[in-house]
Amino acid sequence: MTSRKAVLLGLVVVAFGWPFVIENRYVTHIGVLIGISTTVSLSLNMMLRIGQLSAAQAAFMGLGAYTSTLLVMRLGLPFLIAFPAAGLLVAAIAAVIGPFFLRVKGVYFVLLTFALGEGIGLVFQEWVSLFGGNNGIHGIPKASLFGMAMLTPRSYYFFALALVVVTFLVALGVFRSALGAVLDSLNENEELSQSLGVNALSYRVCIFALSGFLAGLAGSVYAHYTGFLSPEAFGFSTFIDMLAINVVGGISSPIGPVLGAILLVPLPELLRDVKQYQMLTYGLLLMSAVLFLPSGIAGGLQRLRQRQRSP
Amino acid sequence: MLALTLQIVLNGLTTGLVYVLMALGFTLIFGIMRVVNFAHGELYMVGAFAVTVLNGRLSWPYVPALVCSVILVGLLGSLLERVLFRRVIGNEFNCMILALAVSICLQSLGLIAFGPDEIGAPRPVTGVFHVGPAVIPADRLFVGAMAMLLLVAFYVFLNKTHLGLMMRAVAQDPEVAALHGIRPKLIHTAAFAIGSLLAGAAGALMAPIYTVFPYMGELPMMKAFIVVVLGGLGSLLGAVIGGLLLGIVESGFATMLGSTAAALVAFAVVVATITVRPEGLMGRRS
Repeated sequence: MTSRKAVLLGLVVVAFGWPFVIENRYVTHIGVLIGISTTVSLSLNMMLRIGQLSAAQAAFMGLGAYTSTLLVMRLGLPFLIAFPAAGLLVAAIAAVIGPFFLRVKGVYFVLLTFALGEGIGLVFQEWVSLFGGNNGIHGIPKASLFGMAMLTPRSYYFFALALVVVTFLVALGVFRSALGAVLDSLNENEELSQSLGVNALSYRVCIFALSGFLAGLAGSVYAHYTGFLSPEAFGFSTFIDMLAINVVGGISSPIGPVLGAILLVPLPELLRDVKQYQMLTYGLLLMSAVLFLPSGIAGGLQRLRQRQRSP
Repeated sequence: MLALTLQIVLNGLTTGLVYVLMALGFTLIFGIMRVVNFAHGELYMVGAFAVTVLNGRLSWPYVPALVCSVILVGLLGSLLERVLFRRVIGNEFNCMILALAVSICLQSLGLIAFGPDEIGAPRPVTGVFHVGPAVIPADRLFVGAMAMLLLVAFYVFLNKTHLGLMMRAVAQDPEVAALHGIRPKLIHTAAFAIGSLLAGAAGALMAPIYTVFPYMGELPMMKAFIVVVLGGLGSLLGAVIGGLLLGIVESGFATMLGSTAAALVAFAVVVATITVRPEGLMGRRS
């Protein structure tokens, strides 16, 4: 346990420290992208932990991004209000549809959330007066905290990193707490836990809303960082990216998506000029993870440690 | 008004038949292997590229090119099952991710081989037919007729051949089927091959009508998905009815309200179907 804590602490120190050593805008930019992807992937991870693969997570991120943007641009609200509002709106939507959606399980839930995501994407594309259609929205103002505008990538990096740390702790906390024990019992044997008076549905709706909240927050950061929104950023391919991060990193603990994002997000940047090879690499990585490393990098590391401990 | 209605129905039927081809393969693969084949659209794309290369670049005659392309996609399907899906069968989640990975790989291979541009396949059939007051393009009619032929062949295969009987048995109850000496692995390969073959046929047939490009499979995949949810995952009759229904309703909506409204309605119907009646119109309650 302590060695894991040391590793985590080391990771945090490196994550917060390196921008002071390497002052490179481009590397920092990738750092921001990793932070945003990690947050959304962690929100997807929470759903996976309750046994439901939500294909709507990218659309949730989009809802957060557009909400935050419109609140700032149309209503002139400060970022400090728009940011949590973006998360809350998505959480509210998830809480409203959750009781209907979460009755459905397995493949059907994937298809259901897939249809929802595609529907939301279509609304982004076609409701031109509000969402700007396929041309998107340009010139989104930079975020500002307490009157200080966040202009450099580095400020966004630290903001995104803080978001990741909070999300990580929340994810860890939820599944370590009594709530997590209940959720695990639902995965193990739903009938048995229900016989003890557990209302399975409401627990799942809570997680769905929480995951929507986090995806919405990540969307808000993304919008104000890039300054530009278009519907395609929140489509099915983004969902696949988040899923790949989870599968390659490992879905059984929150550290998996963190490792997955650190590994996979820089990949498109390295293969930037050759988009087709970038896709192929993604596909092959995903394939080999499913076939050869079903519990992901995190699971593989854990097995390695156990083997070392008991030779 | 009558002419318009007739036109809408005819348009709907010709597109609907292609949807049925896509949906039948998708639902067959799910019914027998419990694999949600997200790569189904890419098999359609491979079929379209195959016919474009054979007929267009190598200037084979159209019909042999068509037949070869369809068989090629069928072989690709059996290969995918043998090499990849067999290893994760029984785990719905991993099957789904594997299918996504296959989809990405095939798309990127298409991009590497042919580039992102939309290319045109040669058009073997041209001209129009007049059906009363309505007009139907001859190439569409040809696609519709070929699709019908395939459907009949598929029906005969399922109901009159030994392999078809075994397949239905596995779909109904894999364990009891195994007790009767039906080897599930053989059936899995056959189902994946036939499902892929149907998708490849849809792609090869549609190639001369639309343009051919690596992302072309996404839309038909979406349609197959809507049809299959509507008709009931794993239900063959549901796929046929759902496909024709979607074709006609969509054609009506697209004419009256525009295609975006049609797509939104389709997604709303999917959401409503899964939440209210997950087994679809024709599916069995499990």
